[in-house]
Amino acid sequence: MPEAVQVQLKRGVLELCVLALLSRADAYAYDIAARLAAAIDMGEGTIYPLMRRMQSDGLVDTYLVESPSGPPRKYYRLTPAGRTSLSAQKVEWTSFSAAVGEILGDEK
Amino acid sequence: MSRELFLGRLRTGLAGLPPETISDYVSDYAAHFDEGIAAGRSEADVAAGLGDPARLARELKAEAGLKRWEAERNPSAAAGAIFAVLGLGVVDVLILLPILLPILGTLLGFAIASVVGFGAGAFVFVIGAFAGVARDVAAAMLAGLGVMAGFVSLGALTALVTIGLVNALVWYGRLHLKLLKPALEGGEVRS
Repeated sequence: MPEAVQVQLKRGVLELCVLALLSRADAYAYDIAARLAAAIDMGEGTIYPLMRRMQSDGLVDTYLVESPSGPPRKYYRLTPAGRTSLSAQKVEWTSFSAAVGEILGDEK
Repeated sequence: MSRELFLGRLRTGLAGLPPETISDYVSDYAAHFDEGIAAGRSEADVAAGLGDPARLARELKAEAGLKRWEAERNPSAAAGAIFAVLGLGVVDVLILLPILLPILGTLLGFAIASVVGFGAGAFVFVIGAFAGVARDVAAAMLAGLGVMAGFVSLGALTALVTIGLVNALVWYGRLHLKLLKPALEGGEVRS
């Protein structure tokens, strides 16, 4: 797969991945960035603009937690709007990837 | 790249945004470095994971510029949006400029013509009335008024077309942001 296509595919589902991660447990940005970077090989820098936009869209909000090392950490959690968005995006993604999978399967 | 160098380049790249926005962004990345180093990574490793600070700054600025044009429709926000889109490098300037320049030139011409024409109308309105250039005073005043009204509508049309053009440019820029940077723009999956 050409590298550019891969990058665009990953970026397209980045928000969905962040919502899904946060639906399991609240997390701080470094943790989200490191987990996504490891799982889908994303540039860690892209997380911060995304978290900002998701916060201004009201999908997530933040609270501070004392850190054992260094200054307090900013934790993100899903808002009710974030949960709604997650389930809507999940449905869309599932039907989209199923449709693509079917087409790819037929071509074998 | 060291932590200081990365943050310095990011800060330089963000110049022009409100100071509190810049320090917000920079502190995000500073915290990222601290966490990474606490997790046992080297500064160079964290910097490599984050990517090019100048590129990150351009993306952050472009989105801020587009947001501002949506919030406040004024010439300075329009110029900001245009430069932000151009700065992203998503618009091929060499292709776009030959198209844009004549259009901008024409619009500027219309804008100047509106002002000059309005002045000419006012001249006919005032001088015509007093100096009796025309056959009678009422005709001169009416003619002057007509000319002025005509050029006011030309000016309004020019403004409308200009706003439409900037909107089209912003749409074009966003389309590219969407294709290349959904991490910033997102929302296309949401709907």
